[in-house]
Amino acid sequence: MRRRILLMGNPNVGKSIFFTELTGIHAMSANYTGTTVSFMEGKITVGGEEYTLIDVPGTYSMTPTSEAEAVAEKFMQEGAAAVICVLDASNLERNLKLAMEMMQYNIPMVFTLNMMDVAERHGVLIDVKLLEEQLNAPVIKSVAVKGKGLEELITRLEILLKNKTGCGRTCEGCPWAAAKEICTQVRTVKPQNPGFLDKLGDAMLNPFPGLPIAVFVLALLVGVVVFGGRGLRMPLIMLTDGLVVPFFRQVIMGVFSFFTDVENMGGFTNILLEILIGEYGIFVISFQWIIALILPYVFAFYVGITFLEDSGYLPRLSVLFDNIMRKLGVQGGSLIHVFLALGCAVPAILGSRTATTKKERIMIVTIVCFAIPCISQVGALIALLSAFSWWMTPAMVLFAMFMFTTVAFIANKVIKGKVDPLILEIPNLLLPNPKTYFRKLAIRMKHFVKDAEFPMLIAVFIAAILAGTGIITIIAQNAVVQNIVSGWLGMPQEAVVALILGIVRREMSVAPLIALDLTYLQVFVAGVVSLLYLPCLSVFGVVAKEFKTRVAVIIFLGTIFTAIFVGGVVNQIARLFM
Amino acid sequence: MLNLYKAKKGRGLCVVSVPDIDLLQNLGLREGTNISVKNRYALGGPVLLRVEKSFSVAIGKDIATQISVKETNK
Repeated sequence: MRRRILLMGNPNVGKSIFFTELTGIHAMSANYTGTTVSFMEGKITVGGEEYTLIDVPGTYSMTPTSEAEAVAEKFMQEGAAAVICVLDASNLERNLKLAMEMMQYNIPMVFTLNMMDVAERHGVLIDVKLLEEQLNAPVIKSVAVKGKGLEELITRLEILLKNKTGCGRTCEGCPWAAAKEICTQVRTVKPQNPGFLDKLGDAMLNPFPGLPIAVFVLALLVGVVVFGGRGLRMPLIMLTDGLVVPFFRQVIMGVFSFFTDVENMGGFTNILLEILIGEYGIFVISFQWIIALILPYVFAFYVGITFLEDSGYLPRLSVLFDNIMRKLGVQGGSLIHVFLALGCAVPAILGSRTATTKKERIMIVTIVCFAIPCISQVGALIALLSAFSWWMTPAMVLFAMFMFTTVAFIANKVIKGKVDPLILEIPNLLLPNPKTYFRKLAIRMKHFVKDAEFPMLIAVFIAAILAGTGIITIIAQNAVVQNIVSGWLGMPQEAVVALILGIVRREMSVAPLIALDLTYLQVFVAGVVSLLYLPCLSVFGVVAKEFKTRVAVIIFLGTIFTAIFVGGVVNQIARLFM
Repeated sequence: MLNLYKAKKGRGLCVVSVPDIDLLQNLGLREGTNISVKNRYALGGPVLLRVEKSFSVAIGKDIATQISVKETNK
């Protein structure tokens, strides 16, 4: 504990930015509360000695109100060499109140008045010298996203650690009274005329023009994904199909002809060749699916969503749609998790730790697992659907919204407990800082490639072996499988590959279908099944870890059943009219 | 004294009493806090408050109806 330095403060004051700047390890950040739900740690050197810096989830007080906040209290209990307490300069009183509570733990503290630029824009002036006297601890000014104040922070931290003093003042009476008293002494506010971003931020919150703006922003996000993804795909398809795949084919054929007579080779070598470079060969689909199909859409999505996250727009959506979300059994704040889940369900399920009741959290996880597709899968779906007709994608979006509503409605009836009403702080609307934005985008792509690559390769490998050896035909001709796939769902036999691979990763429940010759109805049914089909293995891992294995098993079986059931119903009903 | 959910938009208000919810207290919504209503949302949506002219908080209807306020001249 003596080697620990804690980064603490209210939610959304910039702790994770400090962490990233100080340790070089990237901590996820965004412009709303609750981005850090678990802690991160990294090494920093202060005065020639090495310490562990811990990015603690933000909290409003030392009496926690959610799972994520409880982590903060635990760290203070365990003690540390020093605490860096990050204060939002434009919300001084509330931030100082937490500071007062933290001082009760007798740990040396250094304060940083962060987001000074935003505060100054709003006409807030703070007398730092006086604040230092009042707190009996060092205080510095900073703008973390621009790297301002970091050197001074380290210098002051070094002095603090050397002297081991300055555990601040002891708070008399209620922390609020003390915070208020200090605040009136050190702060002067000259009201400023609101700038453009402040006006826009307010307009986005007003039902009019807020709702039309919301529709526009969401349409823009869809546009960026659909058209941006497609635009990026074209050169990548040319590259893989025109260059990379033929190159590997040539090389592998070359190696094979060196050992055997390729024209008249036996069964085993033939199978091996199929696995490597056949229609479903590893060197074919790993490029065609992963690089040319999935990656462009993932990238386009993160370009859009990262911008929205860092601007502070998502909490505004939560407020605008709280009334509708409440009717579905969750509060508007949960909308942020749903948006995160559109990227990947794993961070969304972890992020739902900020939920204030058990029911809220289980509702979020249920909705995410049953009704929200992830972006890799959405990309594959768009590629499949838009190859047929322009109206297929919008139709699927409407269907997805219908399923979202239905799942939430049923879950609300089944899951017992209550959901707390919304209490959500709305951050200032900000133009994302380019450095932070691009760093985050880069890190997300890196994570995607790192986390997704291995399972995708496994799926590709399984696909190659199933197809190359002919096992797939044996499974497809099984009577039960045939009844489900061909009879109930009305799909061709080969579609069984998609259902098997979809267990490993979600986009793999779509990718194998793209090369098949399908009818309109088959494409739509395939889309429906994929949309509702089980989330990938990583999601089961995280659900089992956060809840119980039993919950993961229920979701596993439940999603397979609903996907095949609903897909079949769509197929059977459509057939009545055809 | 009136309930926050029914308070007029844009008027200066002072909080008289709040329900015993930790998060409200921690955000600084306590007896004597100066607030104003910025927006109210239809269909049982929340109210959006400006607290001490420094930050905005959205409060769900169920809680807003339990908060009582009085108008100030500010």
